[in-house]
Amino acid sequence: MAAVAQKSRFGNVFWPVLAWTVALLFFFPIFWMVFTSFKTDADAVKPEFLFFFKPTLENYTNMTENYDYWRFATNSAITATFATLFALFVGVPCAYAMAFNPSRHTKDILVWMLSTKMLPAAAVLYPMTFLTKNFLQIFDTHFLVILVLCLINLPIVIWMLFTYFKEIPKEIIEAGKMDGVSTWGEIKDILIPLAWGGVASTALLTFIFCWNEAYWTVRLTTTEAATLSKLIEGNRAPEGLFFGRLSAVSTAAVGPIVVLGWFCQKQLVRGLTFGAVK
Amino acid sequence: MSKRRVPRLLQSPAVILLLLWMLIPLGMTLFFSFIRYVLNSLRRPEWTSPSIDNWRGFGNYEYVLNAKDFWFAVQNSMFIVGCILAITVLLGLALAVLVNRSFPGRGIVRVLLISPFFVMPAVNAVLWINMILDPVLGLNGLAVDGINSIVAGLREFPVLGAFFSLWPEFEPISFRATQTSAYAVIMMVAWQWTPFAVLIFMTSLQSEDEQQKEAAILDGASAWSRFRNLTLPHLGRPIAIVIMIQSIFHLSLYAEIEIVSRGNGNKNLPYLIGEFTSNNIGAASATGIFAVILANIVAIFLLRMVGKNLMD
Repeated sequence: MAAVAQKSRFGNVFWPVLAWTVALLFFFPIFWMVFTSFKTDADAVKPEFLFFFKPTLENYTNMTENYDYWRFATNSAITATFATLFALFVGVPCAYAMAFNPSRHTKDILVWMLSTKMLPAAAVLYPMTFLTKNFLQIFDTHFLVILVLCLINLPIVIWMLFTYFKEIPKEIIEAGKMDGVSTWGEIKDILIPLAWGGVASTALLTFIFCWNEAYWTVRLTTTEAATLSKLIEGNRAPEGLFFGRLSAVSTAAVGPIVVLGWFCQKQLVRGLTFGAVK
Repeated sequence: MSKRRVPRLLQSPAVILLLLWMLIPLGMTLFFSFIRYVLNSLRRPEWTSPSIDNWRGFGNYEYVLNAKDFWFAVQNSMFIVGCILAITVLLGLALAVLVNRSFPGRGIVRVLLISPFFVMPAVNAVLWINMILDPVLGLNGLAVDGINSIVAGLREFPVLGAFFSLWPEFEPISFRATQTSAYAVIMMVAWQWTPFAVLIFMTSLQSEDEQQKEAAILDGASAWSRFRNLTLPHLGRPIAIVIMIQSIFHLSLYAEIEIVSRGNGNKNLPYLIGEFTSNNIGAASATGIFAVILANIVAIFLLRMVGKNLMD
């Protein structure tokens, strides 16, 4: 390939420049959001300050007063963290059993789990509201948000872990069994250390999905357990005059996750293609 | 015997949880779809609680099928998903091939390209509709203003001015309007998901057989025929998977539609269900069952397409 790539000098300049241009265009909206977050609300809508303006941190320092950012961010962090942990807690034993002791039905169960992801959330919105509000009395609690986030991500967690566990030679686990290690010991002392990278990237991706979830978290909460998605969606109104503060709160909401995402882009492919593309 | 019991025991929490998650709410939706059930009614207060006495049979389904928005919502759901799929797959293929060669700063280009995928959907919609697409304050409005003032300046020139004075004043497009809000949603979702397609196609391209490609080059095959006959077949499975995953996500789009125009001129099935849910639960549930049926048709079709590849 190298020999051929040298062929055209025009191509050697043109294609990289095109690639850079496209990448910058794709990144531009994010850049613009971060850029605008340093303008005051008044400057943000004036064409004469489009590119040159006096940067200010005011939007960030006022974030607590304008939007009560930290309350929502804390809720997001708590629910995403516990949902991830809970999903791993349920998912690891399940994926372990499926990878090392598959039965005739393992394949069907896996496909069925995936199919629960295809159930349109809107179709069961009212029953969920009804159940949790009138019946279980857990509407707008952290517990409910954690439970729902865990359940919607469980199929992906199990699929990802399954593909990682399948790569571990069966003999290692079986050797442990010969030595009389308990099932829990096998998972804790043999499996997890061996598949540590896989488990970590599964956790990271699940955390990102939980953080970004916008349907259930908005509709099953009011104030107590409301997450950042709810905060942003609540401020969707034509807030033309508040571009500065809107950008700041948006930057704070997506910044950490985008950076986390950079670190697990390779694992993302695997997780979302269920191991079919490596 | 005990050999099978332990694996079963380990699987059961996950299986039971997912089973409950699927069956209970879906069962309730099915029940509600066959009864008269509204949240507020002065005339018929007995309809405000779910009870078997208010049995309506297929009445809710009939009502929904005749509702003026239903077929529009079905068509619009398919239109939005179809457009997003076409854009992301085609653009994704082009960009993956573009970034797959080695050049200075390739790592940074990859990072820049993938970033939109991690943006929260609500932020994505708020950012695009306000700061980029707004016809007055957004970059859309500012850019059109800029073009207009340049054209106005050119009109002053002696000879060229005659030509430019024929040009009309440009009007910025309002993306909250009935006719255009679907395009705004398509644009912002495609922006978010093209990186996903690029990432998957790129990963797959790296496992392509280089020797085969070099042999083709030595045989004098053109770049296009190499792409058409070697790369594209190699990408068949990733393309199918990208289509499957995206269909799952986009058939249930909600936040973007809500934020762009509150469904004005641009409803999909989930949004229609949301509208019915504000009062008529029976109709909302019947629409929900239609949405489940639609999702299942798509899912069966897609799982056929990729399912056999998933396990090996």
